[in-house]
Amino acid sequence: MKKFNVTVNGNIYEVEVEEVGGVQTAAPVARAAAPAARPAAAPKAAPKAAAVAAPAGASTITSPMPGTIFDLKVKEGDTVENGQVLLILEAMKMENEIVAPQAGKVVSISVAKGAAVNAGDVLVVLG
Amino acid sequence: MAANKIEDLRKRKEQIQMGGGAKRIEKQHSLGKLTARERLNLLFDESTFVELDAFVKHRCTNFGMEKVEAPGEGVVTGYGMVEGRLVYAYAQDFTVVGGSLGEKHADKICKAMDNALKVGAPIVGMNDSGGARIQEGVDALAGFGKIFYRNTISSGVIPQISAIMGPCAGGAVYSPAITDFIFMVENTSKMFITGPEVIKTVTGEEVSAEALGGARTHNTISGVAHQMAPTDAECIADIRRLLSFLPSNNMETAPVYETEDDINKLMPELDTLLPDHPNKPYDMFDIITKIVDDGDYFEILPHYAKNMITCFARVNGSTVGIVANQPKFLAGCLDINGSDKAARFIRTCDAFNIPLLTIEDVPGFLPGSSQEYGGIIRHGAKMLYAYSEATVPKLTLIVRKAYGGAYIGMCNKQLGADMVFAWPNSEIAVMGPQGAANIVFKHDINNAEDPAAERAKKIEEYTNEFANPYIAASRGYVDDVIEPNATRPRIADALNMLASKRESRPAKKHGNIPL
Repeated sequence: MKKFNVTVNGNIYEVEVEEVGGVQTAAPVARAAAPAARPAAAPKAAPKAAAVAAPAGASTITSPMPGTIFDLKVKEGDTVENGQVLLILEAMKMENEIVAPQAGKVVSISVAKGAAVNAGDVLVVLG
Repeated sequence: MAANKIEDLRKRKEQIQMGGGAKRIEKQHSLGKLTARERLNLLFDESTFVELDAFVKHRCTNFGMEKVEAPGEGVVTGYGMVEGRLVYAYAQDFTVVGGSLGEKHADKICKAMDNALKVGAPIVGMNDSGGARIQEGVDALAGFGKIFYRNTISSGVIPQISAIMGPCAGGAVYSPAITDFIFMVENTSKMFITGPEVIKTVTGEEVSAEALGGARTHNTISGVAHQMAPTDAECIADIRRLLSFLPSNNMETAPVYETEDDINKLMPELDTLLPDHPNKPYDMFDIITKIVDDGDYFEILPHYAKNMITCFARVNGSTVGIVANQPKFLAGCLDINGSDKAARFIRTCDAFNIPLLTIEDVPGFLPGSSQEYGGIIRHGAKMLYAYSEATVPKLTLIVRKAYGGAYIGMCNKQLGADMVFAWPNSEIAVMGPQGAANIVFKHDINNAEDPAAERAKKIEEYTNEFANPYIAASRGYVDDVIEPNATRPRIADALNMLASKRESRPAKKHGNIPL
């Protein structure tokens, strides 16, 4: 917890600034003082950590819409080609084919058959 | 007349045609870009380009500008023929003061725009400019304003096409943005309001110019640009092709291209094209290519919101605008981007007297908080508005699913579809059998000894009774249930029947589409 005195239009506000989360960014520190001038401002929650830490050069395939995993067509370690079907997502009255955007190796599969997923959930990581 | 006067004229013209000179032209070529004049020559039929205002000069004396020679003022303007039809065009010349826009540069563009509007000819703008000519200050800004105003006044009167073939940054982006179509060239073209340096200074964010405003970004993520091509020449060829589908102005119809493709041809393969199970995806283009002349179509926004297809094609030689769901992407559902894309295309077609063919296989609107927060209500409303407002012939072909609000949104009878056809396997209903059974037969299912079995039974019951085209047809909401093999003849016949359609609307200043 750090204390700052902030002067706005001649009024001095004493604000306490708590650093949350492990995200280290240089630039926003300076601007964080401005909104803090309002004493009521509550500290923001730490940003949600990424579900899967993808290795460099990897491709993360996320769910394009909410639905359930109807079938898995590959397993971890498989080599896939560009355009190959990775899994079937049942959503919007359709068995949607989720295909590989590039050739590569299946690093990890984050979902199981029958799992309910939301838009943006990580499905597969290709390396 | 003294021969030396003619000699003098020739020399002057020669000098202007060299633009910024051999060295800068070489630089332009080394970047993979053509010069303004080379681009115009590719756009127009051979030897048809007529240049205007070649002698125009700037009159700025600030910051040493009085000593700056700018042949042609950094933009080449004029008219010519594209497949024998008059088209106006201007091309910014990056070799002359970086193609920067000053007062007289803008005046040249405005004169071309005014002429195009007067004679009712399309205008193509080729953008390759460093932006506003700072030395000219507010006069440069006035120049932009004059162009935006004319873009708006010409909107819906003559087709306006923009090609981005180099930088197009800051205020300059808004002229293309107001026009009907934007074409970009991969790697060489960039569009952004604020460039990477400004973004870095203000927010600290580091982003490359290509990632921020390259052709791929605007064709896939932002939806700002409608097409992209690998080179200038291919981009210009695409523009020529697009022009072939469009009329010269809002009082004309698009040119007719005779076809050898028999309009009475039956297509038995359409009877078996759809997967047996309604939950299996297929490629909507397999249907489109069988209906239109020679299987030929020109897609608008092919890389953006792929769940919604918008393309121009021809049936019996005449242009149609096709709006279709693509079951291969996002199940072909309606979402924010898809609705936006379709609504703009529908209005483009309506403005230029191009009949609309809607091919429907839609499961519904995409659910989710991101869609609701993003305003799917107001974006989806654009589609309903655009369809209702359109007075061109409107045909709707339901090939499989047509559910709920999305069924209305894809131009049902009540939005003014002149002819609605359905294939016999169509499911036209308020919602899918599973959802409907859960609501309609809630008590039966809950009170049954075996609710799961009862549920399955009720779903089957609903499917058999309601998930078909005959309920809608019995009300007259579907004009005819047709055999898929006869689709091309039936569409061609309906378009022919509707060619003389006239529909008027109450007089008003303009509607208030939910933008």
